[in-house]
Amino acid sequence: MNANRREFFKTAGLTGAALLPFPWVQAQAERKHRVALIGCGWWGANIVREAMASNRCRIVGLCDVYRRPLTATADEVETLSGEQAELFEDYEAMLRKARPDIVIVATPDHWHALPSIAALKSGAHLFVEKPTSHTIGESQAMLQAAEAEDRVVQVGLHRRIGPHHRSGMEFIKAGRVGDIGTVRLFVVGRNRGGERPAANADVPNGMNWDLWCGPAPKRPFNPKITPGGWRNFLDYANGTLGDWGVHWLDQVLWWTEEKYPRSVYSTGGRFVSGAAVNTEQAATTDAPDTQTAVYRFDSFTAIWEHRNYSGNGSEKHRIGAYFYGSKGVFHMGWRDGWTFYPSDNQESIVHEKPQFSDTVDGNNLKQLWADFLDAIEQKRTPAANLEVAHRSTMLPLLGMISWRTGRSLTWDGERERIVGDPEAEKLMRREYRKPWRYPGV
Amino acid sequence: MANRFFMTRTLPGALSFWVLTAATPLAEDWPNFRGPDYDGISDETGWRKNWAEKPPAVVWKAEVGIGFSAFVVADGRALTLGHIQDQEVLSCFDETTGERLWRHRFPSELGAKFYIGGPGSTPTVDVANGLVYQLGKWGEVYCLSLEDGSVKWFRNVAQEEKLSVPSWGFNGSPLLSGELVVLNLGPAGMALNRQTGETVWSSRGDAAGYSTPVPYEDIVIVSSGDGWSGVETLTGATRWTIDWATRYGVNAADPIVWDGKVFVSSGYQKGSGLFSLNRGELPRTWAQRLFRSQQNAPVRLGAYLYGIDGDSSSRAKLKCLEWETGEVQWTEDTGYGAVAAADNHLIYLRADGRLGLAEASPKAFEPIAETKVLTRDCWTVPVLANGRIFCRNSRGQAVAVDVRTLP
Ligand SMILES: NC(=O)c1ccc[n+]([C@@H]2O[C@H](COP(=O)([O-])OP(=O)(O)OC[C@H]3O[C@@H](n4cnc5c(N)ncnc54)[C@H](O)[C@@H]3O)[C@@H](O)[C@H]2O)c1
Repeated sequence: MNANRREFFKTAGLTGAALLPFPWVQAQAERKHRVALIGCGWWGANIVREAMASNRCRIVGLCDVYRRPLTATADEVETLSGEQAELFEDYEAMLRKARPDIVIVATPDHWHALPSIAALKSGAHLFVEKPTSHTIGESQAMLQAAEAEDRVVQVGLHRRIGPHHRSGMEFIKAGRVGDIGTVRLFVVGRNRGGERPAANADVPNGMNWDLWCGPAPKRPFNPKITPGGWRNFLDYANGTLGDWGVHWLDQVLWWTEEKYPRSVYSTGGRFVSGAAVNTEQAATTDAPDTQTAVYRFDSFTAIWEHRNYSGNGSEKHRIGAYFYGSKGVFHMGWRDGWTFYPSDNQESIVHEKPQFSDTVDGNNLKQLWADFLDAIEQKRTPAANLEVAHRSTMLPLLGMISWRTGRSLTWDGERERIVGDPEAEKLMRREYRKPWRYPGV
Repeated sequence: MANRFFMTRTLPGALSFWVLTAATPLAEDWPNFRGPDYDGISDETGWRKNWAEKPPAVVWKAEVGIGFSAFVVADGRALTLGHIQDQEVLSCFDETTGERLWRHRFPSELGAKFYIGGPGSTPTVDVANGLVYQLGKWGEVYCLSLEDGSVKWFRNVAQEEKLSVPSWGFNGSPLLSGELVVLNLGPAGMALNRQTGETVWSSRGDAAGYSTPVPYEDIVIVSSGDGWSGVETLTGATRWTIDWATRYGVNAADPIVWDGKVFVSSGYQKGSGLFSLNRGELPRTWAQRLFRSQQNAPVRLGAYLYGIDGDSSSRAKLKCLEWETGEVQWTEDTGYGAVAAADNHLIYLRADGRLGLAEASPKAFEPIAETKVLTRDCWTVPVLANGRIFCRNSRGQAVAVDVRTLP
């Protein structure tokens, strides 16, 4: 279509502007947001597809440290929108040359903070994926940068905007579940037990592995790590609690009036996968396959629980959040929508199906992206803004610190400090590999 | 076509078979992935199509292990691969009774990376010499006796030649050609001497794609994660290339050559393209994103292609495409699966285990009937041979479905 249109313009010897009957149509077209993407993997490509589908954006730059997803995304952008985006390996160069006014950051978690802050400082609005960061200090620095630059930031927590999440929240907030005392968040996987190490391998052609590792430790290249597998390598992410936990813990903070828990305790391990392996020859993942985290709020207790094995087992649902109230149990799910089980067996179950703008991956990125653009244009706060997403990210990150130290943490949510435990507090930040520098003060 | 005649039909065993069956409806062995013509189309006629009146029945069942290997059928035997308890297993069955004749096994990793894992290649039978060739998931190459599965020769080619291993292992099937067994190992294929296993030519660098080498004239077509190459069968010298970068390096569906052109297709939102055969970088006739073969190539009948568009995780559909233009003629909401053809009919297996039969027409989807033969997930192409359709699911349940016309 686009190629045809360009062809037509060429043969007609006219420019696009001259052909348009109303000058304001052209003006509007010119006002398209200039969008650049950092991290052209699975999710980055999903976001950029929505940016193109919105018809309000032009993709001006694509950046990845691996040529294969970079060219695959460029190819897709060209066939879907007719645009030839400029391609980069280094996001700093992209920010300078492509001059985007919106930057999408969809890199692995260890690479969220620096590109996000650089994008904000370049004057761009930011769409950054969840969890906001890998360690607490990074997310704090991102928040500072967003406030200092006064930019709009949307975080990829699409469950804040999904239709069944919204209607489910209304149902709970209308008191239909009664007084809620416990919330339980959980993900159950279907791994088959004992994890075998995979051999370390040569870095694939066209991949800058040093840059991929960036500020995080540079491990020998292992095909388990990328794409996608970095979620379960603690150098680059925070396991299932970081990846999935943030989505469901965010639902808790969306529901409650409280802003943070008073204390956090987590325990778990690799009880089924076995001890982590990381030698010169081979590696396994190293994130816990079993984890429980308890968050003490003033008016309720929240419990996270994941198990990457065992499958459906005895539970009605495999994933999501149970809100336990005086009138029954409310389950907020994913592909299974939401369901309310009244405590009185005489009453009937209430259920609502999910609705996704992308049924394949089960998300509502379309609405989240539209809300982001609206927020920029209307100068308002978007649905999953950085402040709320930052607070939701604190929960899994604190859970991981408690799991590492094996102790309960007292959290001063106002000042964002761990009380009376300097050793744990040190884990709110990490050493960066040189030449990168940990952001903020 | 000429190729196939040369390779199987002029051999003594095949000749007598040919003479015997000439007067009756044509039954046909299926000794390699995508069949004797490497196109997924069987020449078999006279098999039973009145499924609507009488659904075909399962005549035997077997457990073959986790994986996506298809069946091959030759010399009264049916063979396929699977992963069973830390081993890759080649099972050889009696084609008519399902009795297990022998198994060949060796230790292997399941490789369950974002999917159930297991081997994805299909063994190749050399009927004339009574041999079976097997490419293991991690680059092990075996030449076995068809009679009893004993090892004639073995090489761990990936390890010996230090090849990059693609994320989901090696999934292409061995191609027998002249003195060679050609494999999709390395970025542009590899050939071994089929009697000794010695390397005749090889390619180095990036990892291979997941397709099976497809022959035409003096060339075989092989894939990497970033494109396709036409290489000279005897030397491995590159005659032409197609730049075809895919998000996860998955070029898995076998290309189709016809009428001076080559059709390629990949999943993960990539799409299809038609290219004119030439030298160097091939010129493109068309490319589109409405037909994306993640694993299974379509079948070409006349000037139309029939196959599954979309990934196993998506709402995939059965589509008909025009060869010349790439335009979609019709779409049927089947979900994921795979399609074979015979006697101008489509034989398709849906991911949920429904085996379907339809008349092949570019005008519309013309279904005849469907019958449930397996449970999820069926991602492997069904194989018609000698009046039976051999199907399997990813967990390793296999069935032979009877479509013989009884006298
Ligand atoms: N909101 C959701 O529901 C959701 C779902 C999936 C993923 N995500 C998030 O999206 C992000 C990406 O996940 P994914 O599954 O797409 O991972 P992925 O591994 O598929 O893609 C990450 C890409 O980033 C690239 N990359 C790494 N370092 C880079 C750098 N310095 N500059 C540019 N590119 C770099 C990698 O090469 C890779 O192509 C993660 O933060 C993840 O949590 C969110």
